[in-house]
Amino acid sequence: MIRFDRRGLRLATISIAALVAGMGGAASAQDKITLTFANWAAAEGTTRPGIEKVIADFEAANPEIDVVSEAISFSEIARQLVLRARSGNPPDVAQIAGNDTVLLAFTGALEPLDGYVKENLAANLKQGADAGLRDDGGLFAFPWNQSPAGFWYNKEIMQKAGLDPNKPPRTIDELTAALAAIKSSQPDVIPLAIDTTNRAFALSSNWPWMKSFGAVPVGEGATGAESAEMKAYLSWMRKIAQAGYIDPGRRIGEFRPLAAQGHVAFIWDQVLLKGVMQGASKMSDDDFYKTWGVTTLPAGAGKPTTFEGGHQLVMFASGKQKEAAWKFIEYLATSPDAIANYTMSVNSSLPSIKATGKAELDAALGTPVFKAFSDEIIPTLAPQPYGPDFAAAATAIMAGVQEAVTGSQPIDDIAASIQLGLPQ
Amino acid sequence: MAAETTTTEVRVRSRARHEPWLDRMVLPTLVVMAVVVGYPIVYTIALSVQNYNLLDFRPAAYVGAANYTKLAGDPIFWGSLANTAIYTFGSVGVSALLGLALALLMENLGGARFRAIRALLLTPWAVPFVVVAFLFRYMYLQNGGVINAVLLSTGIIDAPVPWLNSSTLALPAVMVANVWAMAPFFFLLLSAALSAIPNEVIESARVDRAGTWGMIWHIKLPFLRNPLLISSLLMVISNFNDFAKIWAMTQGGPGYSTSTLVVYVYRLAFERFEFGYASAVGVIWLTMLMVLAWIYMRVLRMESR
Repeated sequence: MIRFDRRGLRLATISIAALVAGMGGAASAQDKITLTFANWAAAEGTTRPGIEKVIADFEAANPEIDVVSEAISFSEIARQLVLRARSGNPPDVAQIAGNDTVLLAFTGALEPLDGYVKENLAANLKQGADAGLRDDGGLFAFPWNQSPAGFWYNKEIMQKAGLDPNKPPRTIDELTAALAAIKSSQPDVIPLAIDTTNRAFALSSNWPWMKSFGAVPVGEGATGAESAEMKAYLSWMRKIAQAGYIDPGRRIGEFRPLAAQGHVAFIWDQVLLKGVMQGASKMSDDDFYKTWGVTTLPAGAGKPTTFEGGHQLVMFASGKQKEAAWKFIEYLATSPDAIANYTMSVNSSLPSIKATGKAELDAALGTPVFKAFSDEIIPTLAPQPYGPDFAAAATAIMAGVQEAVTGSQPIDDIAASIQLGLPQ
Repeated sequence: MAAETTTTEVRVRSRARHEPWLDRMVLPTLVVMAVVVGYPIVYTIALSVQNYNLLDFRPAAYVGAANYTKLAGDPIFWGSLANTAIYTFGSVGVSALLGLALALLMENLGGARFRAIRALLLTPWAVPFVVVAFLFRYMYLQNGGVINAVLLSTGIIDAPVPWLNSSTLALPAVMVANVWAMAPFFFLLLSAALSAIPNEVIESARVDRAGTWGMIWHIKLPFLRNPLLISSLLMVISNFNDFAKIWAMTQGGPGYSTSTLVVYVYRLAFERFEFGYASAVGVIWLTMLMVLAWIYMRVLRMESR
């Protein structure tokens, strides 16, 4: 017979209790749903703390769901998601933007979301927030936030150049004159910051400029690269480059610190610029509004337009936990906490819904920059020719833009070479 | 003596006749090679005759030589091929000359001070390629770059030069960065080769009153020929595949002025997802590399004789 002394009995009790607790823990771990979330928010220093907090808050509110955040850089995420979708190993949810969203939809790997969006959420979505996110199968991506580009102007630099700081240029001619005034009065300032790199994002960013001249090189209603409007756009780009009004070859992100230091007069950038500049310069909101204003793009022969640089959330059709995945998507895009801790703070963008349900958040949307974007700029959003051929078109068009900006080849030849490189 | 040699040769030939053409001991190596090297090559060749787009989930369609026909008329491919040749042979040629000059200059300099200089000269080789690329990218900036700042302040130029933003200057500018990173390799290798020249040869030349140039031209260079050839071929192969520097500095631009074959393949495969066409370019690229590798092997064999 086995005899237990008091100490032995205590140890045995503790052991049994620990075993039971462990089994219970194991059972609850087994019941837990694990979602994989591929995103670049966790890959970037400025947004990582915000997204990590939002994920932690979601997990706290939904203890049955674990979110595994997979950090992938912005420039890599489309490639990785396409390859993972092809190899049958996609994440449950992913952050995506621009042409990459449409590319993923084209693979047929995305779950249509119409069935998940309840009526009240559909009614609360901003008008046009889901534009370009639908195909024959319905809604293939949910708008997480809105981040269109605006024409930012530095009032102090304008004033020093003898320009009215409250009257930003409205036409291409006014802009050209303003650039000349700035260059002659402040040679160390970059008069206009635009992205002229050769990548798909650069075409998205330059598309509204082309449209300002009435040029539509590809897509619906295309007039080709050899149209008079496209040549006018290329000629203007060459003119402002030769005059030293732009600094070619820089990514838009490389202009932001310079803008924060007061070395850029005009910059064509997204709503997030405010957060980036304030982060770099530690400028207060009041000082920022005194220094910077934002408005619509100056127009030439065409109308002012802008592009949507906001981020979307997609769910993969092969995922096993679709209800949980949708719950997470809905939380990221609509929960007041997520909007406060990520969308409007670290990501410095606008929510895709009309009312957040929190008065202070809705009030923050009334500040000058957010208001200018909501009231003036977002209504000028225009669709882009996104699709599988967009990257090829971007390579051809941006190579031509670079040639116009940096070379001496006749504009007619450049336009012809762009046309030759466009997907037929 | 002659009869002895003949008997040995007969024995060797007889042994060679009895050796199996495939030893089972090399099978594991062959299997590994087939999986690691053979399969990707065969698969790339198979893809090159298909219309295979990664975005299209339908099965790939066999298109025969269509991708190769398209390639023959593709001006970007030919431009990229020309850029690859200029970048590779230009960089290797200049680096080899620079490395040789440095090795000859530093050959007889001893002492701690010169050892430190020697170590300093080697540091660019130790810097990762991506770091080199970004370093030069920021140095070349049209506004705010240190190169333009120095040239402007010394009055050599009166306006900033668009080093990486000019179709004509971009490729030479990238090559300068490449030469900076590669020349130390040649310096290291040729310094070792110089120190291996027998002292008797040098002494004899001195006795014959060979001058500095005569010594370099008639004595040292013949000794350096083989190491120079082998290292150059090695670097040609390495530069043929160089992606990091060009991508980080110019992404192949402005226009296509710095686009090389590897950059073009990357854009086709990972931006446009046209794996079929990208594979066709890859097969041509692979063929050229194999020719270079074959030349390299021949040179090595010649040297061992």
